[in-house]
Amino acid sequence: MVDPAAGPFLFDTSAEGWLARNASADVVRWLYAYLGLHQFSVSAVTVTERIRGYGMLWRRSDPGARGRIEVARIAYLSQLGNVLPVDSAVAVVAGEIIALIPEAPTPPRRSHRLAESRQERLARWRFDGLIAATALVAGIPLVHNNASDFEAIRSAIERSPERFPGLGPLELIRCSLLA
Amino acid sequence: MPRKQAALKRRTTLTLPSDSLLQAQKIAHSRQVNLSTVISEVVAAGLRLESARHRRNQILENYRTAFTGFSGDELAILDGVILEPVGAGRR
Repeated sequence: MVDPAAGPFLFDTSAEGWLARNASADVVRWLYAYLGLHQFSVSAVTVTERIRGYGMLWRRSDPGARGRIEVARIAYLSQLGNVLPVDSAVAVVAGEIIALIPEAPTPPRRSHRLAESRQERLARWRFDGLIAATALVAGIPLVHNNASDFEAIRSAIERSPERFPGLGPLELIRCSLLA
Repeated sequence: MPRKQAALKRRTTLTLPSDSLLQAQKIAHSRQVNLSTVISEVVAAGLRLESARHRRNQILENYRTAFTGFSGDELAILDGVILEPVGAGRR
């Protein structure tokens, strides 16, 4: 278990989703304790990914289902805590990360009848680079639910410390280890 | 420099448990302040805790609303994984 007092942490998009919909009593207790000590921090990129997701679902839905999606979107926006911006420092560090690993280390996602396009996978990989850069610049651990991608970034930063002067290492915490 | 404005005060009558009152009196005596000061501080701290508890519950409730009622594929889209029917998009 990770002590909530060890925060603050930056939560990756999928880690935020994992925590928010996890019904395990241990996870809910952990989140409750964490919120008593820190604001919930996410990158502005996470807000972009999330709102884009609500927007896409809204457009794909029947008019009758759109109200439910809008309620969910407003609930998400109502609880936003600390949103870390993509400023010039984050942009520079993210550029270095993306240059070091131009292609996503894992293939596009697939489900039963659906698949992620290569373009979407690349966009998501670049978003991950921006999120990792945000944690690195803020100097706080990144809680994630995507070990393959973020471990690849962490290793690349360790192999090329000269590209990240005064920064790092990138501290990673897998969300399943929180509670 | 602007002076901090003193909080408005009102006199009231409270019924408190004897042991709590005794404890507060002991604290007031040891700190050489009056009982009202101690009770005010305790009430302010309690109200801050209550407000924080309310805020936490509100965040958790909003999170539940934000992610409830979606399928697995829809939740993936909310997490930034944009899935399309196979063969529908440019590959």
